[in-house]
Amino acid sequence: MSAAFDEQVGDYVLGLLDGADLAAFEAQLDRDPGLAERVAMLRGRMQALDDTVIPADVPSGLWKRIEAELEPTAALAPASRAQMRQQSWLLAASIVIAAGIGFVAGQQFSKPAQPVVIAVLVSDDATPGAIVEAFANNSVHIVPLEAFDVPAGKVLEVWTKPNEEIGAVSLGRFAQSQEIVLDGATLPLPQAGQLYEITLEDAPGSPTGKPTGPILAKGLARSPI
Amino acid sequence: MSDIRQAITPETLLARVAKAERAALAALFESEAGRLLAVARRIVRRSDLAEEVVQETFVAVWQRAGQFDPARGSARGWLTTMVRNRALNLLRDGGRLEFHDATTLEAMSAREHDAVSAFQTLPDSEGLKHCLEQLDEPKRRAVLLTYVVGMSNGEVAERLAVPLGTAKSWIRRSIAALQECLR
Repeated sequence: MSAAFDEQVGDYVLGLLDGADLAAFEAQLDRDPGLAERVAMLRGRMQALDDTVIPADVPSGLWKRIEAELEPTAALAPASRAQMRQQSWLLAASIVIAAGIGFVAGQQFSKPAQPVVIAVLVSDDATPGAIVEAFANNSVHIVPLEAFDVPAGKVLEVWTKPNEEIGAVSLGRFAQSQEIVLDGATLPLPQAGQLYEITLEDAPGSPTGKPTGPILAKGLARSPI
Repeated sequence: MSDIRQAITPETLLARVAKAERAALAALFESEAGRLLAVARRIVRRSDLAEEVVQETFVAVWQRAGQFDPARGSARGWLTTMVRNRALNLLRDGGRLEFHDATTLEAMSAREHDAVSAFQTLPDSEGLKHCLEQLDEPKRRAVLLTYVVGMSNGEVAERLAVPLGTAKSWIRRSIAALQECLR
């Protein structure tokens, strides 16, 4: 397993890995300091090529455009408990709506370029079961790596837990193991370390709005650099 | 004044960005944006898209400066990686790019020119230059086309007029040889 990843170091640094290969490699990077060191070494050396550029003129408006986008992060500063409770109510309201449309609207469509976090969900026997990419627009891209058995009358439901106060929130459901983009729920920007999991629920979805069925796979999110 | 600015390393600036110091992000932008725009431009080939890449990168730096790990490379390298990843995503994501002209011979040779000149511009003191020189010419070219301007295996094969499998194995073996040589 590790030798296969070792062989991919060059492809990774050259930007030739994509999709599930890329996510699996990056997940391994977090677990394997030796692999991370080999990547850092090759990457550091190859960047001598990037450093041969002649710096471009920086357009005067570029910094202003960046600065304008920095505002929303103020909302990410630790909120007071009262604010959190209020947010939870708003969230609860929006989740009801999202849960209503999540199943119908869940379909394959093109996804935004860069996920905010990626989680490799692992099943009980420690095999990777699915990859979740979560985007800033709340959508989540699911790539099953294992064909989950979904009996008639059951659905797969995707959950995340932004923090203890909010608890588990449904991101949507899907009927069979397939690559899919779900609309997700209106939540704070996903963070590294956030829990994602897939459970098996009675159709059309968990009756309580919280996970009730068996967990098929779960994992913690990481941010791509 | 410029002496003082130079004395502040990108590492120091990143640490301050992690504490939500906007002035530190501005200083980092001032020292790195021109270089990063040029790195992105080599890959996406258009100024507007390169600006978009750099804009996204600095917004991401603002949100994630705390995740920078000095044990895994320099702060400038971290920024370079973020820019390269976003530029390559944009390039591979095709749909966003009206890239018809990229398949024209002229655009392809402009990309090739950038790739080869990056190699030629490497300082002689740079070990990578020595190691790249050890590779046969077409293999070196395959690596440069892939890394510097982000050509896919298919584009490299087309450009070098070899079968796809040959391009793939050249790149893979050349990188292995480079890793060995750089050791």
